[in-house]
Amino acid sequence: MSAPTWTTATRQTAFSALDFRAKLAVFFTATFAAVIWDNPWLNLGLAAGIGGGCLAVGIPGAYLRLIAKVMTPFFALLLITHGFFNVQHVQRLLDGRDLTALFTVPESIWVFGGATFSREGALFGLNAIAKSLTFLLLVPLCVFTTDPNHLVVSLVRLKLPYKLAFVLTSTLRFFPLIFEEIQAVIRTQRLRGFAAEDLSPVQRLRVYAKVAVPVILGALHKAQQTEVVLQAKGFSGSSHRTYLYEAKLSSLDYGVIALTASALILAIVIAPTLGQFTG
Amino acid sequence: MPPTPAPLVSLRDVSYAYPSSTAPVLRDLSFDIAPGEIVALLGPSGAGKTTLCLALMGIVPQFYRGRFFGELVVDGQDVLTEPIHALSRSVGLVLQDPAAQLVTASVENEVAFALENAALTASEIRERVAAALTAVGLEALAKKHPHELSGGQQQRLALAAALAQQPPLIVLDEPTSQLDPASTEEVFALIRRLNASHGTTFLVASHAMEEVAATATRALVLDAGRLAADAPVAEVIRDPALFPRLHLRRPEVTQAYAELAAHGLWPADQSWPCTLAEGMAGLTQLPPAQPFQPAPPAAPDRGSPILALRDVTHTYPDGTTALRKINLEIPRGEYCLLIGENGAGKSTLLQHFLNLLRPTAGDVLIDGVSLSDFKVAELARRIGYVPQNPDQQLFNATVEDEVAFSLQNTDLTPDEKSARLEQALAAMNLEHLRAAHPFSLSKGDRARVVIAAVLSLDPEVLIFDEPTTGQDAAGARAILDLTRDLHAKGRTIVIVTHHLYLMPEYARRVMVMGEGQLLLDAPVREAFHATELLARTAVRPTQAVALARASHPQNRAISPAEFVASFAREEASP
Repeated sequence: MSAPTWTTATRQTAFSALDFRAKLAVFFTATFAAVIWDNPWLNLGLAAGIGGGCLAVGIPGAYLRLIAKVMTPFFALLLITHGFFNVQHVQRLLDGRDLTALFTVPESIWVFGGATFSREGALFGLNAIAKSLTFLLLVPLCVFTTDPNHLVVSLVRLKLPYKLAFVLTSTLRFFPLIFEEIQAVIRTQRLRGFAAEDLSPVQRLRVYAKVAVPVILGALHKAQQTEVVLQAKGFSGSSHRTYLYEAKLSSLDYGVIALTASALILAIVIAPTLGQFTG
Repeated sequence: MPPTPAPLVSLRDVSYAYPSSTAPVLRDLSFDIAPGEIVALLGPSGAGKTTLCLALMGIVPQFYRGRFFGELVVDGQDVLTEPIHALSRSVGLVLQDPAAQLVTASVENEVAFALENAALTASEIRERVAAALTAVGLEALAKKHPHELSGGQQQRLALAAALAQQPPLIVLDEPTSQLDPASTEEVFALIRRLNASHGTTFLVASHAMEEVAATATRALVLDAGRLAADAPVAEVIRDPALFPRLHLRRPEVTQAYAELAAHGLWPADQSWPCTLAEGMAGLTQLPPAQPFQPAPPAAPDRGSPILALRDVTHTYPDGTTALRKINLEIPRGEYCLLIGENGAGKSTLLQHFLNLLRPTAGDVLIDGVSLSDFKVAELARRIGYVPQNPDQQLFNATVEDEVAFSLQNTDLTPDEKSARLEQALAAMNLEHLRAAHPFSLSKGDRARVVIAAVLSLDPEVLIFDEPTTGQDAAGARAILDLTRDLHAKGRTIVIVTHHLYLMPEYARRVMVMGEGQLLLDAPVREAFHATELLARTAVRPTQAVALARASHPQNRAISPAEFVASFAREEASP
């Protein structure tokens, strides 16, 4: 009956030790590059690099699998949509060049009969998938490797009001709380002989709908308790406070920031050439 | 003559009612607390102890609103007008549920949080965090996430967070309710130490009467929101009428000497001891005790064990081995206790009984069939589980819905379901509360709702995890009496508890766990007197056991009544 917590990397690495501001520089540069580049191979390489980084810093495999599970249908839809239907836009990017047909759906198939799946459309779909993946993987790479308390301090050092930084990190903590509430209810239901797997989806929905309001009330009750506790600990939201963690940028942080700044310039420089979509 | 110091806390005619209730929870309270006092706050459940604790910090009425009358001043600040965050510099508050008090992501940050809010320098914060964590024995866990700690460790962390603020007043609401006996002793020893070294004033609401008697200098007793007594703690404990009237529990040593006095074995004009040391000293004034060693109860002979563990080992994904080759059999119809220090592996073992965890090696059997053959929900109809914290188990809008939930997935007819519902409500005396929202009830009532929900399935085995935590003596006794009734009806009962003093009348057998191993599995009398082994597990013998052993080497009494009997028999003999 372990309590869910803020998801964290499973090991300490040099990347984890970086200040969050250095990680934000990595985040910004990689996101910016992914946005301005339209070359699918470059973007896939970037996404693969970020994915490799996630594995290297110990982002839990379960979390990465969850991303894969949730996003696969969406990515499949992107690929199909671009491969079959994004003809005019892709042609415009290729100066009106004809697209290469990979296969055509037989005419006999309802609605989709006769549609052609193009190589260039598929590559453009892959490009969109890689952009999404880059962003999706950057979040755990930068956030899960950062102690939430350090995150608050780094955001404050970036001139974000303390109250806002605290609310931001508390919101991230609130998701595990809701998850915990739901898990607790499901576990309790099972311990009270309720086997959801034996019910039809409609019966299951009916039961869940009945308990949804109390679950939300339970979460609100906990949130209210937390507010009491915060006040009892002298929390007023005021920025006039100090920090145990002093968030001083190290030479490594400065090095990473300098490196990412250079990478940003490089990304901008190659965008009109290597970064272009060429089919 | 030196001037009398100004009181740290001053209440004048304080009454308070929550917004949703018509009756006041606090009524006409007037008292002072002087700097440096250790004051115990006693009273039955619902007497207003928690509300008073919250009022000292201004949370009542500033946060909860409601109607507040009178004047309450703490450290020169009016709790009605001074913001709560400002009052927090004068008052450290530790609430009953430690998990609800954790707001940061590491142990050291949890302690540092209030100090950061008070804008102390980083070096001072570091010093205070280190000192507070050392004081509660958590220095090695400074980098851990608070949710990774056990309940007992979380409670110590909450205390450390209050200590680090170094406020003149620390208010503790049931600070040891989830701690094993050794940790409970440590917390009270810490209170005494801080009081002596820093002059910190403490107000402690607690049912741990043995430690209260040894620590507090004064007791305030609340009864339905009114001040029923305000006197030195020993005087309050010895009051022959007060404790019985409020269904409060005296320390075992006091109870034993009160009964000795009633039998004419202790001078009527001499006060009853309140601490174990006083009780031990009093033994010299008693006649010689007799050997007392009744035969253990016969094990129930009802065929093969209903639950069995065969070489069960469990290792968590992080590599922690919580159970090591446990072999155990629980006969049908047994009533057993599972005891051990916080972190001994008790919870892990329970989860194996419920199929919430699977053994890494070995097997768990019910009636000879491996539990791996059952779904959790199937098993729930045979093994009922009453968890420690009722709040995590309530998810319906009314008490009736909560109790009836378990029945909806059964094959019972509507009439049978209705009958089961009524039986369960009646067994826990909840009929009049059936339309209430579970969260609107007191903690004791919420626990009874959960028990009723489990009872509605009429399981063969009932597992209770710390059922008496947070209950007053009457509430605890009501729950334990229910377990005895269920046992008498043939149910197998397993209880996890730190409250050994409550159990002699109920349990037949005790399983002692330590470091993931089953250290002892013996009849209750033998286990209670296995003092050397218990000492290794942070489970202390009860005061009755300590007195018995000191009175005669063969005195195996396990309750105050038995201890008295070991003398009374000699008196009765010609």
